[in-house]
Amino acid sequence: MSAAGPRSDPLDALEPDQRSSVAERPLPRRKLGRGITWLLVGLRLYVLVAIPIVVYAFVHALTGG
Amino acid sequence: MPRDEPLREDLLRARDRRRVRTARTKRHRLQLLWLLVGPGILVMLGENDGPSMVSYATTGATYGIGFFVPFILLTFAMAFVVQEMTVRLGAATHRGHAELIFQRFGPFWGWFAMADLVVGNLLTLVTEFIAIEAGALYFGIPPVASVAVGVLLVTGALTLRRYATWERVLMGLAVFNLLFVPAAILARPSGAALVHAIVTWGPLPGGITAGFITLILANIGATVTPWMLFFQQSAVVDKGLTSADIAEGRADTAVGALVAAVAAIATVAAAAPLHAAHVDVSHFLSGADFATALRPFIGGAGASLFALGMIEAGLVAAMTISASSSYAMAETLARRHSLNLDFVQGRLFYAAAIVSTLFAAAIVLIPGAPLLAMTLAVNVIATLLMAPALVLLLLLVNDREIMGTLANTRGANVAGIAIVAGIALVGAVFGVVTVFPGLLA
Repeated sequence: MSAAGPRSDPLDALEPDQRSSVAERPLPRRKLGRGITWLLVGLRLYVLVAIPIVVYAFVHALTGG
Repeated sequence: MPRDEPLREDLLRARDRRRVRTARTKRHRLQLLWLLVGPGILVMLGENDGPSMVSYATTGATYGIGFFVPFILLTFAMAFVVQEMTVRLGAATHRGHAELIFQRFGPFWGWFAMADLVVGNLLTLVTEFIAIEAGALYFGIPPVASVAVGVLLVTGALTLRRYATWERVLMGLAVFNLLFVPAAILARPSGAALVHAIVTWGPLPGGITAGFITLILANIGATVTPWMLFFQQSAVVDKGLTSADIAEGRADTAVGALVAAVAAIATVAAAAPLHAAHVDVSHFLSGADFATALRPFIGGAGASLFALGMIEAGLVAAMTISASSSYAMAETLARRHSLNLDFVQGRLFYAAAIVSTLFAAAIVLIPGAPLLAMTLAVNVIATLLMAPALVLLLLLVNDREIMGTLANTRGANVAGIAIVAGIALVGAVFGVVTVFPGLLA
């Protein structure tokens, strides 16, 4: 609000959490239950297996194998 | 940090939202829909990219009009179910996919998702420039010229510094994905054969072979790719959609899926004469090969439409994919991320898209560059590493702390989990089969 009096908010059409000043605040980390924790552990193992396959595929194709 | 002056990004988004509010208040439904469509149409037509259209053409040339026509419809229905979740995520949280993963699941998954996406996108961009180059070569345009024009258009659209304008420019370009429809009409497909295929899921010439299974796996595995999840959610946020706009967001995604499916089926139909004439397409490398081979069947005009469609497919995908890299990188690094930013505030955001575009274009122009190896790596990355992306999507959309009443219902979870599990499993199998093709022999 200016000293000259009230003025309309140029961002009034935005929801409060659409404003950059709010949206850039990080959300808290999710508290994971046991099931989701194990799911993510399994997913990490999957990733550990998948990445070498991706690298192998690329190198194999690169060397014309 | 509190600011006295609103950011340009917020001001532009607020201006867009005022138009939406006015249209909703006055019950101008068509105008409201027009204002809110965009991300869904762009993501679906962006997925009809250069390699996808070559894949559909290969399908038409190998199997003709039959099983794959209804199958393509099914894959786009599956894509709709998955992509609709990103609309709700973006509208409910006003945060992009990468930042939600980082903030809710921690740095490991945040960095993994971003790295997976950026590397995959970089290689995919190379394949899009291959499509642009090949399509232009059909018209005798040298690669340097076509790739340079492609780079100028991708980076030039970013200089608009306005999400709404960028989106409308892309939608205007994406309409040309439908060039495959007149090309298909010139191939004179049988209406009865199309209806028969949709009703009976047949015929399937040659039966179930290793090649057929590979094509099925490839199609399902490529139904949803990681960049689509990141792009649509970030675009929904950048556009400013709120929970009040979910219905229009769904309609946008459904229209996009339908139009993309029509273009995909048209590509199958356009290439079907090659099947009837028993043309061997196994050595075809690009859309230009198909355009040349189709000329005796659909005429010079039809072949030109086909080649132009390939150029459009590569160009629109290059624009959407480079934007998804920018969103993901800036979100993960907690930097400003919006196509409404000016260049100073959005240095990293714009630099990510411009550098990746220049890199991909340069790779395509290097004589003897390992383009086939890159194309293969794209397939493997997109399919093998899709499972984590889809599982994280499901976890996010079921996170009631951030989704509230927009979280998945039980029914949506049954459908969502079945589709996500199916795509993830098939994608992983396809990834392994691509690397070890002997497994299917």
